[in-house]
Amino acid sequence: MTYITNGFTLKSWLLTKDHKRIALMYLIAVSVFFLLGGLYAAAIRLELLTPQSDLLESGSYNKVFTQHGVIMVFFFLIPAIPAVLGNFFLPIMIGAKDLALPRINLLSWYIYMIGGSLTLYALMQGGVDTGWTFYTPYSTTFSNGYVMAVGLGVFINGFSSILTGLNFIVTVHTMRAPGMTWFRLPLFVWANYATALVMILGTPVVAITILLLALERVGHIGIFDPSIGGDPILYQHLFWFYSHPAVYIMILPSMGVISELISNFSRKKIFGYEFIAFSSIAIAVFGFLVWGHHMFVSGQSMYAGMVFSFLTMVVAVPSAIKMFNWTATLYKGSVSYDTPMLYALGFMGLFLIGGLTGLFLGSMGLNVHLTDTYFIVAHFHYVMVGGTVMGYLGGIHYWWSKMTGKLYSEFWGKISAMLVFVGFNLTFFPQFILGYQGMPRRYAAYPEELQVLNIFSSAGASVLGLGLTLPVMYLTHSLIWGKKAPANPWMLPGLEWRIPSPPPTENFESTPVVTWEAYEFGEENGLDLDEARKRDLATV
Amino acid sequence: MSTHDHYHPPGLQHQFEDMKQQEESVSIGMWAFLVQEIMFFGGLFTAYLVFRSRYPMAFAAGSNHLDAFWGGLNTLVLIVSSLTMALTVYYAQKGNRNMQVILIIATMFFGAVFLGVKAIEYSDKFNHGLVPVAGLNHKSKAEEPAAKEEGKTAAGEKHEPNPRGEFQWTGENYEASVKIITEAHEKKYLTKYEEVGYYSNGELDQNKVRDKVRIFYWIYFVMTGLHALHMIVGLGLMTWLLIMAWRGTYSADYYSPVEISGLYWHFVDIVWIFLFPLLYLLGRHFMHGGGH
Amino acid sequence: MAEHHDIEHTEAHKEHIGLPGYFAVFGVLVVGTILTYFVATIDLDSILFPGANTLVALLIAFTKMTCVILFFMHVYWQSKMIWLSAVAGFFWMAIMFAYTMQDYLTRVTGTFNP
Ligand SMILES: [Cu+2]
Repeated sequence: MTYITNGFTLKSWLLTKDHKRIALMYLIAVSVFFLLGGLYAAAIRLELLTPQSDLLESGSYNKVFTQHGVIMVFFFLIPAIPAVLGNFFLPIMIGAKDLALPRINLLSWYIYMIGGSLTLYALMQGGVDTGWTFYTPYSTTFSNGYVMAVGLGVFINGFSSILTGLNFIVTVHTMRAPGMTWFRLPLFVWANYATALVMILGTPVVAITILLLALERVGHIGIFDPSIGGDPILYQHLFWFYSHPAVYIMILPSMGVISELISNFSRKKIFGYEFIAFSSIAIAVFGFLVWGHHMFVSGQSMYAGMVFSFLTMVVAVPSAIKMFNWTATLYKGSVSYDTPMLYALGFMGLFLIGGLTGLFLGSMGLNVHLTDTYFIVAHFHYVMVGGTVMGYLGGIHYWWSKMTGKLYSEFWGKISAMLVFVGFNLTFFPQFILGYQGMPRRYAAYPEELQVLNIFSSAGASVLGLGLTLPVMYLTHSLIWGKKAPANPWMLPGLEWRIPSPPPTENFESTPVVTWEAYEFGEENGLDLDEARKRDLATV
Repeated sequence: MSTHDHYHPPGLQHQFEDMKQQEESVSIGMWAFLVQEIMFFGGLFTAYLVFRSRYPMAFAAGSNHLDAFWGGLNTLVLIVSSLTMALTVYYAQKGNRNMQVILIIATMFFGAVFLGVKAIEYSDKFNHGLVPVAGLNHKSKAEEPAAKEEGKTAAGEKHEPNPRGEFQWTGENYEASVKIITEAHEKKYLTKYEEVGYYSNGELDQNKVRDKVRIFYWIYFVMTGLHALHMIVGLGLMTWLLIMAWRGTYSADYYSPVEISGLYWHFVDIVWIFLFPLLYLLGRHFMHGGGH
Repeated sequence: MAEHHDIEHTEAHKEHIGLPGYFAVFGVLVVGTILTYFVATIDLDSILFPGANTLVALLIAFTKMTCVILFFMHVYWQSKMIWLSAVAGFFWMAIMFAYTMQDYLTRVTGTFNP
């Protein structure tokens, strides 16, 4: 009996403590939010087709881009990989029956749903127009939007993230199977562990910040109002103390997925395992020291800016270490270009651009010119979409057969992976140029000479949109008409490939004893993929 | 399946192999939660640090109106409750049900006393117009001499009318703050922010001083309010613990719920250990140090 | 220190410091509280240096906190992981303080600053 067939009632899902079922519940919720955020993005790109503010007037445009940001950041990017893929595979990859605290896990899903519903309610009531950053004093004093309701939604949602992080930390510490030492952990586990550290150290700070914002909005004490002795920049300090590390909450798990994909689809032990593992921890730690690079032009001290600028350069090092090691893994590997691997390679290209432009923005002098232009929009979309979404989609395809027991259409998978890559670049690369030419972000209208590039961008967005819709269709299709998946379609050594697809409720028949290193392609599991395909073991 | 064959101790959840693994998990989980709590309060302490370093004299003046007696008493009350909590764990480890029940009740009693004292303090602030949010203070009408008279006898100080329940920093409070601010001004102790933040055209500006003191009171209310909220959650936790202990659930083999509830309770105590000197005792030495 | 705990861990796990120990810690906490109160009434800022009052108050508070964490919360007998998380929380708070204050303390006179 698999975890899916273990009970069919609604109650057996809504009250489940099985990490795999909770992960699927997260998958559905997160997909709904992704769709919604995508619709807002479509509205933005449609408005920007023409230089005039015609489809949306400025007020509505403000609301649309705010809601796009709030939904995508807090309700999609942050939970996506940890809560779906991490939840499902972290226990399996370390040889455990479940997360250490299954009830807390279920609670985190409910908290996510409550926070999400509250935000959706606020959006239906009229939404917010502050930008996803809720900067003061606009958000505390002037905005007429539903700042309180959305703030409360984000506040509540923060605790779901904290509980997930807490659960991962405990699980990695105490639930590893015999023989599963720290340096035998798959790198996806290391990445999620580092993410969990950021979650519990950073998220409470944004919670208290939003609480302060709400109290200020109600009480008008003026702590963020410079005219009576407050300081709006304090809000930014507190906000970015979390929200810069939050970028790593989004990208670290994705990097974990990429480590899995690169090593497994090169059929080669990953190059520099320890370096990749420790660079995750280094990113988690140093990520906390750079938040001031969001505030170079906001009135922060110039000297503080220099320190933050320098540290921003430093934090790029561990990310670069990962890139080099992945590249070295590909070298002389027997690389196969299955759909997940296409996403992984796409990630490497896009994250490289996203990361390097981050360095441009991290240098103070250039930042003065580029900040709040489309250059910054392009930069963080290269990191968030090119990084996180590519990793997420790669991971979903990679583990789909394990999660559902069905094989998706490899043909359509490849088509959509390429559409996503092309569409993404067409959408966001022109924005680098637009930003460099001085087009500010967050405006519904722009000068006519910038229209050509904006049309490119909007056209790219529709290709990207198509690329993202296709998986919804063929993955859903595979649930019903897909071929039954073998336990190990790609002949890989990881623990999750040694159990049936889909896994039984308890994951393992008996507690596994791990005697191999991560990504060890030995005799029995290191079979040539082509040979395996010939024997029809893998029909994907 | 092998897991269902062997003996399951009571309280062992299915995902764990043995009690040791479960205890370790629960304890690491609680500590991770406490780290989260530290950062949660950390945001507030940062705000405190920023504003106190800007307006130290306004903070001292505001702090002097908090009652250090009640604050000190509450510190002691919490410390006693921490002791009874620690002893609860001690007796839970020994499996002594009666002592557990007695000590949990004692812990809850002292927790309740703490909240009671807090209520006394809050109502005092309410009556004196020291709640920083307009409309949340006692509203006294200007034309009612009786109310004015009442205020005078109750606190022994002159009361300004406060028809809209606004934050007030007047009368003796204001004069006391004038004294320490001018003294610091003469000694050139004031920060740059204070020079601009208290004075208008070289004259001490009552409204400006009030705004800065209000920031102190705002921080006081948010910090102690959140702390009190944690106490209330703690009391809920203790109620559940009491029921479980009453049923004799805990023994030398299984007492981790008692232990982690204790961790939470001690953490809340630690927060107060810092709040007491940082909020109540800032300007004491200006009041008593005569040789200043 | 570390090896000390590992040895101690097994046999001392149940007893910890025993009843007299708990009362001794309690005594330290009470004395600390009273001391905090009376030190605050002395003008150390003038006698020693500005900020001395706060410094002393914080030192006492840290001592009290250490007692609670080590003995009431049993960290003294715990694994390194617990030690680490106890320290990490405060370390990260210190990061937040330090990097926020490096801005506030180095701001030059300008639009936002007197
Ligand atoms: Cu950043």
